[in-house]
Amino acid sequence: LKVVSRPSPINPIVRSFHSSSLRAATNTVTTPHADPQLKNYKFWNREESTPGQFSYLLDISPESIRKEARIISLSAPDDDANHALHEGVLPMGCHLLGTGSTLQDFDELRNSNQQPNVVFVSPSCPKARVQLPLVLAAFPSIEWIHCRSAGIDFLVSDALAAYKHLPCTNAKGQFSSSLAEYTMMACSYFAKDLPRLMQQKKGKKWEKYEVEELRGKTMGIVGYGDIGRACAKIASVYGMKIIALRRNPSMSEVDPLCDVVYGTGKSSLNKLMSESDFIVCSAPSTVETRGMVNADAFKVVKQNAVFINLGRGPVVDEESLVEALRAGRLRGAALDVFIEEPLPPESEFWDLENVLISPHNMDQTGSFMHEATEFFVNENLPRFVCGEDLLNPVDVEIGY
Amino acid sequence: LTMDDSNKKYYNRETSIPFSSDGDVIKEAKILSLGKADDVNNEPLYKGRLPEGSKLLAIGTVMGDFDIPALKAQEPNVIFVSSCTREVLLQLLDAFPTIEWVHSRSTGIDHIQSKGLAAAEHVVVTNSKGCFSSTLAEYTLMACAYFAKDLPRLMRQKQHKDWNKYEVLELRGATLGVVGYGDIGRAASKLAKAYGMKVIALRRNPSLSKGCSICDKVYGADQLNTLMSESDYILVAAPLTDITRGLIDADAIAHAKKDAVLINVGRGPIIDEDAMIDALNNGKLKGAGLDVTTLEPLPTESPLWELDNVLLSPHNMDVTATFLRESTEFFVKENLERFVRGVTLLNLVDKVAGY
Repeated sequence: LKVVSRPSPINPIVRSFHSSSLRAATNTVTTPHADPQLKNYKFWNREESTPGQFSYLLDISPESIRKEARIISLSAPDDDANHALHEGVLPMGCHLLGTGSTLQDFDELRNSNQQPNVVFVSPSCPKARVQLPLVLAAFPSIEWIHCRSAGIDFLVSDALAAYKHLPCTNAKGQFSSSLAEYTMMACSYFAKDLPRLMQQKKGKKWEKYEVEELRGKTMGIVGYGDIGRACAKIASVYGMKIIALRRNPSMSEVDPLCDVVYGTGKSSLNKLMSESDFIVCSAPSTVETRGMVNADAFKVVKQNAVFINLGRGPVVDEESLVEALRAGRLRGAALDVFIEEPLPPESEFWDLENVLISPHNMDQTGSFMHEATEFFVNENLPRFVCGEDLLNPVDVEIGY
Repeated sequence: LTMDDSNKKYYNRETSIPFSSDGDVIKEAKILSLGKADDVNNEPLYKGRLPEGSKLLAIGTVMGDFDIPALKAQEPNVIFVSSCTREVLLQLLDAFPTIEWVHSRSTGIDHIQSKGLAAAEHVVVTNSKGCFSSTLAEYTLMACAYFAKDLPRLMRQKQHKDWNKYEVLELRGATLGVVGYGDIGRAASKLAKAYGMKVIALRRNPSLSKGCSICDKVYGADQLNTLMSESDYILVAAPLTDITRGLIDADAIAHAKKDAVLINVGRGPIIDEDAMIDALNNGKLKGAGLDVTTLEPLPTESPLWELDNVLLSPHNMDVTATFLRESTEFFVKENLERFVRGVTLLNLVDKVAGY
C-alpha cells in the first residue's frame, strides 16, 4: 500500500485540472487540487473534491476488490457521529469487527481468526493516546490507522511514533469552509466594530461612526494548509491581500490565492506579523509549532492588527497574547481554541473586552463529525479495498 | 457579469477601468455646488484640478446663497448635489434654464426626486452607483454570519464565562435572495458565491441578468413571494421608488421560511416595518440586520431597539473614512471628464423610475 508521507511539490500541470462543478460554484479563482492521475497531491477538500470516485468500482465490478477491510473502531460506544460506520451500510469487502474504547473491549477478537487490518479512531475515545498504541501492539495485523478528526495531536506520542511505518490518514479538508466563514466573520466583527453596534443598541443610541473595509487589507495565514486555503479563497474575493506561511513554501508557489508565501523561521513569522492587518493562525499543534506565536512575534505585530486562532491553542503563547491585547498593540483577538479547554473561569481572556471567545465550536455543524465518518466510509475505505492510494496521509512523527 | 452593457453605462469602484482623458475637450463645465462650503468631502471639487476651462461658480445650500443675476450671465450647466432639498433643486433649475446635468453625490436620489425634476427633459441626472457597493456587501455577509454562528449567543456566554459548545450553521449551501439586483446586490452575490451560497436575484428587468454568472436564478418583480419562500437570507438592496415602497409587506413576510433572516441596506420604507416587527416577535422570522429604517435616526420608542434578534446599525455600514470623498472624486475624474468631451455619462438615472 503506497502512501506518500511527505507531499512532494505541486506539479504546475495540476493548475490546469479543474472540475466543472468547481467552475459552476464560483466565478473567481479556483484553487489547485488533487488529480488522482498525478497522485502527488493527495488531500481531500469537501468543497472541491469529487465524491465517490471509487465507489462505482465496488458497485460495478467486485473484482476491483484487492483485499478486505476488517475494521475496529476505537471510539466512545455511544458516539452517534460514527453512525455511518457503526450502523451504516459499508462498501463491499468492508466489515466492522467491533467497537470499543479500550483494548479490553476487543478481548474477544484476540483469538479470533478474523484479525483487524484497519483501526478507526475518534477523539471521543477517552485516553485514545494510551489506548491506540496498545491496540496496535495487540493486533499486528493492522495496516492502516484513520483518525476521524483533522487534528491528530490528541494521539501523538513516542509510543505511536514507533508505528510511523503504518499509513495514517485524517479528516483534513472536512471542516475548512466552516472555519473560513468564521474567519471572515471575525475580521468583520472588528472592521465594522460589531461590539460598538451592540453597545449602542443597548443604550438606544443612534450614532453614526466610520467603519473599515476588509477590501485592501492584508490577511496573514500562519500554517497555510487546507483551512488556510479555504480562508484565502474567500478573503481574496473580498479584495484582501494574502500572505501565507508554511513549512514548504515551494508547495504554494503556484497557488493563485497567495500574494506572498513565506517559509518558517522566526524572521518569516515576524515579517508576517508586521505586515498583516488580520492574522489567522491555522497551524496544527506539533513539536515545532508549540508556542510559536510568542512574545517576539507580538512585539512586532502591526499596530491595531487582529489576531484570530482557529487551529490549536498551544501554538500561541497565551500570556504574550494577553499582554499584547492589554498594551493595545492588538486591536483585538478572536479565539476558537485555547491551551486549556474548556477555558477555565480564571482565564484572563474572559475579561478582555476586545476578545471574541467561542468554545471550539466554529466548525461544529450538526453534521460535521458524521460527515467526517462518512468520508472514511465513502472515500478512504473504497480506496483501501481497491488498492488505491489513501487520501489525507499524515505523519505521526511530525504531527500533522 | 450581465447581458446588458452595464459596465459601459455604470460605474463600479472595484471593476471599472479609470477614464483616460485622451479625447478633446469640446465644452466647459460651469458648476454649481448644492452643498456645504466647509464639506471636506467635496475637496476634490472645491480644491482639485478640474478639466480645462471648467469652473466651480458657486457653493450654497439655499437659494439665498446664490447671486442669481450674476450667475445667470455665466450660464451654469452642471449642479453637483451633496446636500439639499428637492424644493431648492427645483428652484435652481427654474432660475438657471442652462442647467443640463445634475449629479448626486449619493446613490439614492429619493431625497431629491420630484415630478418637476422628472419633467425637466433637458436635464440628465447621474448618481454615485457603484461607489459604496463592496462595503455594503461585506456588511451583508457579516449579518448572515451573525445569525448563522449565533454571535449574540457567543457574547452572552462570554459575559457569563460560560463554555458551552453549540452547533453553528454554515452559509455554504444556504440561499441568499437579493431583492433589487443592482450594483450592491451584485457585489453581495459575488461574496455569497465565494462562500458557496446559492443566489436568487429579483429585479424589474430579469432579462438584463440572463446569463449572469454569479446568480443561480433571476426572478421578475411578480415573483417576490417565490423568492421569499426559497431564501434563507433575504437582502433588500433596492432603491426607494413608488414601486418599491412597502414592497416587503405582511404577505411577502408570511411567505418567508421560518428561519429566514431579513437584511436591509437599501431604504427603510421598502419594508413594512410593523409587519416585520410582528414577524420578528412571533418567531416568523429568525432575525433581521437593518442598516436602514423608515425613520432615521431611529426613535427610541421603536420596538426594534429591544428585539433581541435584530442587528441595528445607524445607516453607517458604508461610511468609511473616505467614501464620500471618493464619490466626489468619481464626479470629478470620471463624469466631469466625460461631460466636457461629450462622452456619455456613467450612472444615468431614470428620472421617472427614480433610480
